[in-house]
Amino acid sequence: MRILLIEDYPPLQKSLAKGLREANFAVDVSSDGQEGLWYVMSNDYDVIILDLMLPKLDGLSVLKQLRAKNKDNHVLILTAKDTVDDRIKGLDLGADDYLVKPFAFGELLARLRALTRRRYEQKHPCLKIHDLYIDIASRRVWRGDEEVVLTSREYMLLEYLAMRAGQVVSRTDIWEHVYEFNSEASSNVVDVYIGYLRKKIEKEANPPLLRTVRGQGYILGA
Amino acid sequence: MPMRSLKSRLMYGMIGGMAVLLIGFDLIVYHAISRTLFSQFDSSLESVARIMSASVEQDNNNINFEFDVKMMPEFAGGTRAAYYEFWKDDGTPIAKSPSLGSNDLVWFKPENHPHTSKSFVMKDGRSVRAVAVNFLPRTEKNNSNAVDTPQSIILMVARDAGNLLEHLQFLKYLLSFASAGIISLACAVAAIVVRRGLAPLSAVAAQIDNISEDNLKSRIAGEHLPAELAPIQRQLNNLLTRLEASFERERAFNADVAHELRTPLAGIRSIIDVTLTRDRDAAEYRSALSESLSIINNMEEMVAKLLMLARIESGQMTFSWGQIRPAELVDRCWHPFSDKAAAAEIIFDNRLDGNLVWKSDATALSMIFSNLLDNAVEYTNHGGRIWATAGKIDTGIEIIFENTGNQLTKQQLESVFDCYWQGDASRSRTGVHFGLGLPLVKRIVELLGGKIRVETPNGLFSIHIYLPPVKSGS
Repeated sequence: MRILLIEDYPPLQKSLAKGLREANFAVDVSSDGQEGLWYVMSNDYDVIILDLMLPKLDGLSVLKQLRAKNKDNHVLILTAKDTVDDRIKGLDLGADDYLVKPFAFGELLARLRALTRRRYEQKHPCLKIHDLYIDIASRRVWRGDEEVVLTSREYMLLEYLAMRAGQVVSRTDIWEHVYEFNSEASSNVVDVYIGYLRKKIEKEANPPLLRTVRGQGYILGA
Repeated sequence: MPMRSLKSRLMYGMIGGMAVLLIGFDLIVYHAISRTLFSQFDSSLESVARIMSASVEQDNNNINFEFDVKMMPEFAGGTRAAYYEFWKDDGTPIAKSPSLGSNDLVWFKPENHPHTSKSFVMKDGRSVRAVAVNFLPRTEKNNSNAVDTPQSIILMVARDAGNLLEHLQFLKYLLSFASAGIISLACAVAAIVVRRGLAPLSAVAAQIDNISEDNLKSRIAGEHLPAELAPIQRQLNNLLTRLEASFERERAFNADVAHELRTPLAGIRSIIDVTLTRDRDAAEYRSALSESLSIINNMEEMVAKLLMLARIESGQMTFSWGQIRPAELVDRCWHPFSDKAAAAEIIFDNRLDGNLVWKSDATALSMIFSNLLDNAVEYTNHGGRIWATAGKIDTGIEIIFENTGNQLTKQQLESVFDCYWQGDASRSRTGVHFGLGLPLVKRIVELLGGKIRVETPNGLFSIHIYLPPVKSGS
């Protein structure tokens, strides 16, 4: 899942980006509202973490503008403003969640997971495709009774495909939701990782879970 | 003891005052009427007495009465009877009217007046009023029996006064009942007048009663207020405006403190939380601790400034006066920022006269200079310049810090001395700069008796500090 973090306080920005990446999120970072809005318009983020007091363009203006342009990204406001009026204003302007600083990082992760589930209309915290189980909270994967150990990138790829299980997912979609803005673009990087993933989750005896749809992309569990 | 309401005070005052006035009026009217009636009654009795006294003659020891009672039927008796009685000066009765029968009038001696009048009740229960005159009977000079010095005689003429007293009694009752009626009516009128008169005051009181900490935006309506209440309404509204602004400032200050504390706290917590999500090597732990410590140092600086402001506000800051060379002090205060300035290629020029000596508090001046230089280095453009100058103005000195990094509009200049105010509304320097430096500098300058102002001439940021000489005994 790809996240945009718009936060201007450098220590918080740095630690959050690090923690989110370690939690298998692709994270883009912006330090001001104008740049943040540009990122939002340029990419399809699953969740936007938005501070309110930002240089150049404040968080509420960013929120207003992205909603005015019909961007339906899920927005989590992360701010030191803690009054009920502030929360009401933020949520009424189109935010999906509101978290007051200081906060527990675990809670932020849980809220991000909830928002990504909501985006892909998933209610259950565990995804099940045939005998493939993905525990999103612990970020662990099992095929049958056997746990599958994945790298961070492989897990991100599998989670995104699993969220859209049964749908054809294009390479562009995968690139937009699994890779960060600064990732080095390569023509076959997605294919390479699909290959790695296949090797780990497919069993010879079983029918393939992850199939290639020629000219369109990939489909998991159809 | 609870204070009575204004309404009841006015009611009691008006009714009490009216009652006193009415009773006084009644007494005056009653006294004037009774006095007039008695005076007329007494005049007629005195006329009769004078006529009768002129008809009394003395020869030797005999008193002769030369009037005929038959000619005066009222002394004969009846329902509208009149009475007379003659006494010697010592009170010995001489003669009396037939109408008295066996009764006597009550003897009293006239004193220092042509006549004296008195009301009394006779033995048979009749109320009479009498006039007593003291006179000397006539003497016949040609008569050989005439006496040289006639004896003094007292004549008392009286008439039944029952009718007069009844009229006066009626008048008394009439006045009493009329007054009682008027007072009752006055109570009702006073209640209406007071209620209507105080209605604007009650309306103002109700509006004031509805004002609380949560709705300081409401104001007292003044469209229909009487002229006497208009100044009160105006002053109260002004007070409410100031109070609202004060509460707003306090709320904003609290929100600012909360923001300035929450954001770095969030940073520390996030660093620790993320670090603890997995086992890491020593370098990573060291890095996390170092970042947390850096944030804590900044927070400590902010808390120290807040405490300093609190100490100044509560008058706990004291000064230790000494002879100071401001040029040297500016150099010392610049030193901690010199590396940061060099990194940004900022040039600092201390133009203060090295021979200038000024009596002041070194610690206070250091705080002023350090805060201003810190701000200057933070906001001056890359490759810009900062300089300090000083000069004498009247008996004081003016020290000026200027730099090429002005980022403020004229409107923003009005707010630079407000706590937690930052030119960038986003507080992009949260955790590093708190908007407390300039407010702190202003408080210290004012404590030193000086003044501070900010100007932005030709795109420069220029801050002027005027310090007066230290008063002897300070």
